[in-house]
Amino acid sequence: MSRSWLWAYRPDIGAATARSCGSALRASTDTQGADTCHDADMSPKGTRALTVLATLVLLTAMGSAVQSRDGSAWLVAPGLVAVIAGWVVVWRVPTSLVGPALAWSSGAIALVLLGERLVPPASVGLWPINLVGLFALLLVFPDGPSRGPLWRGLPWLYVAATFGTVGSAWGSTQVDGMIVGHPTAAQRVVGIASVASIGVCLVMAVVCVVMRYRQGASRQREQIRWLMSAGGVTVALLMAGWVALGLGLSVPAAFGPFLLAIVVLVPVAVGIAVVRHDLFDLDRLLGQSATWLMTLVVSAGLFGVVVLLLSELLSRYTGLVGATAAFVTALVLLPLHQFVNGFIGRLVDRDRYVGVADIRRFAADVHAGRREPEAIEQALREAQGDPELRVLLARPGVSGWVTMTGAPTRGEGFALEAGGDTIARIALGWESARARRRIAELAREAWVPIEVSRLRLALREALTEERASRGRLAKATSQERRRLVRDLHDGAQQRIVASGLRLRLLQRDLSGRAASEVDATIKELKTTVDVLRRLANGVRPSQLDDGLEAALVTVRETTPLPMSLHVGELPVVDDTRALTAYFVVSEAVTNALKHAHASHLDVCVNGEGPRLAIRVSDDGIGGLPADAPLPALRDRVLSVGGKLDVVSLPGGGTTITAVL
Amino acid sequence: MNPGAQRRIVVGEDSVLFREGLVRLLTEQGHDVVAGVGDAVALRAAVDAHHPDLAVIDIRMPPQLESDGAEAAVALRASYPDLGLLLLSQHIQLRHCLGLIGTPGFGYLLKDSVLELDEFAAAIERVVQGGTALDPEVVRALVRARSAPSALDEMSEREKEVLGLVAQGNSNGAVAAALGLSDRTVEAHMRSVFTKLGLHDDGTTHRRVLAVVAYLEARARA
Repeated sequence: MSRSWLWAYRPDIGAATARSCGSALRASTDTQGADTCHDADMSPKGTRALTVLATLVLLTAMGSAVQSRDGSAWLVAPGLVAVIAGWVVVWRVPTSLVGPALAWSSGAIALVLLGERLVPPASVGLWPINLVGLFALLLVFPDGPSRGPLWRGLPWLYVAATFGTVGSAWGSTQVDGMIVGHPTAAQRVVGIASVASIGVCLVMAVVCVVMRYRQGASRQREQIRWLMSAGGVTVALLMAGWVALGLGLSVPAAFGPFLLAIVVLVPVAVGIAVVRHDLFDLDRLLGQSATWLMTLVVSAGLFGVVVLLLSELLSRYTGLVGATAAFVTALVLLPLHQFVNGFIGRLVDRDRYVGVADIRRFAADVHAGRREPEAIEQALREAQGDPELRVLLARPGVSGWVTMTGAPTRGEGFALEAGGDTIARIALGWESARARRRIAELAREAWVPIEVSRLRLALREALTEERASRGRLAKATSQERRRLVRDLHDGAQQRIVASGLRLRLLQRDLSGRAASEVDATIKELKTTVDVLRRLANGVRPSQLDDGLEAALVTVRETTPLPMSLHVGELPVVDDTRALTAYFVVSEAVTNALKHAHASHLDVCVNGEGPRLAIRVSDDGIGGLPADAPLPALRDRVLSVGGKLDVVSLPGGGTTITAVL
Repeated sequence: MNPGAQRRIVVGEDSVLFREGLVRLLTEQGHDVVAGVGDAVALRAAVDAHHPDLAVIDIRMPPQLESDGAEAAVALRASYPDLGLLLLSQHIQLRHCLGLIGTPGFGYLLKDSVLELDEFAAAIERVVQGGTALDPEVVRALVRARSAPSALDEMSEREKEVLGLVAQGNSNGAVAAALGLSDRTVEAHMRSVFTKLGLHDDGTTHRRVLAVVAYLEARARA
């Protein structure tokens, strides 16, 4: 636990600037960079002096209590826990006012005991001092006092009110829990005003904590939850004390647990909050126990009501009544538990409850096709309240990790497992035990979208690779064709012509039948050369060397039907694409000749940015289905990463479009 | 047959077999083959050294084994405007030499046309004398080049046929014989062609060459 963050945020309801600072903090949850709000509470010397003072007061009170032998020592001794907790905080965070406030939460009680003994007339009015420690704690926890006149003035009001109660009850005494005295009218007025002021101060202190909780970053919320839990128990004990008093218990017996809670439970909780605020998943414990308790109470009540109602109706069949009541109760138990769970969840741990519900809804949206599974990272960031959260995916079949966008990265963070394999990791920007527990819970809801994203990413990669491989093959094929054609021209053709030339020269020395025989052979050789040239042209039209247009003109030349050819401004294309474009046109034309019964063909080739757009249309019978296989055509277009479209209405001709 | 005078010829051809055959053929036809070389660089050196009447050049030659021969022809035409150039190729490849087609003293033949000895000899003679010699395949490739210009659109099929044959280097008589027409009819067609191309006889220009050039340029405007 680093110390710097502890001082980084200081809630201040009074000052607008500080509030904007606080809200910026809340938006980022990152407590770094909030130095403008930084303001040390007190020097370490000051906090130590205050704590030493509280310790001395407590020890003096204990000594006095032991001497007096009236049994009040047991009330003071547990106060040591608060003082020790205060010292722990002072040791860990020397400038925090939380330490002294903790020490004084029992020190103040000791002070009251001393005061009652040393200044008897004041004893009845000293009671507000009992609460000074708790009051101070509420005002300064967890990161020091709030700024602004209202919060600065509150302690002074408390001090004034304390003087008021002392003054108004001066000289009164307490006998068996009853206050005996003769207050004047002025004293009564001051007394009522003072009690009301103390009430206001305490309420405002609670408001202060609530506001801090609502405006604070996640770390402050975690800390404040500890104080709130302890405070809740304390208040419950106070109420129980009133009930016990009503039932006839003595004052020390009724309020003992309450005072014990103030001096033991609250200090321990606060100490834990400062030193190890993420020790337990407090909300969950609290929420679950409350849920079961409420479910139990409600279902028992229901059981009782059903029994009551039925026994009125069917007074004779008591066995049936019990069974029916049990059945009805069992029937509502599960839905009731779920309802209470949701209710308590919203109440006690709103963040977690809402986060889990958000992710669950997100998963449902993905399932219904309303959202892309890749948005899971953003959804988790929002649910976790951690804008730096990253989802890392394990690449299927390959080792290593990639981000949601497919960039390779280092694997770190919470491991999400499915079917025995780690499919993803979630790296948190803000790490704490609570954050880790939270993300584990969210990840359980998020694993399907994450797995789908992972598989989609793998599919995309595979498709990209597949396309690249097809492109490489197409390129290799076109190079191979070029080489083959060159070999035909420069090898076979050349040799045949050279042989023909020799025969021709030989022919001069011959006459008669031999000469005509040689002449016939030479003609045969010429035909062979012609055949080879045509063959080579089929492999790769030589006109392609003079441009795509020159090659397409030869298609028009060799087509038996009238064919109009329009070639616009073309981008510079590599040999592979030019060859592909040529074959696409010639195959589309061949297709039309074979099947369309057309009388006219129209071929259009245009540049669309860096792409080639080819359109071959005929006026034939049409009726070719849009997904007609045309395998040769489709394969050629796909081989250079192009797109093929076929529009063919019955009787309306066929138009084949390809974009390369 | 041994028409015309002895010509001084440089042969540029990388296939030894074919080059030897060609040299022998030309020699037997009464020409003086002053150099036989195997690549484009040596070809230019040989022309610089010998100042021949004609260079017979294979289109594809080392060093790059692309259109080195055609590029060398363009360079030689720039250096020696009167040098006859005859390109030989295994297949029609017009890149790099489009500018030369139709100019005086230029020929482009497929290699197997050397097997027709008389026609080959006649083509050599035409090119040396400042005429043209184009393989019918080359002409066909030029004719089918894309959008036909308006002047050619105005011509009748017969006129285009006649002009096409003239562009190959044929005389009126040869055209008449090929098409089975009388000489006068061919002359009439040619006059009509001249008119449609806007070529008037001013006594100083060779209308026939200009017509062929206009025809080829229009066809080859690709």
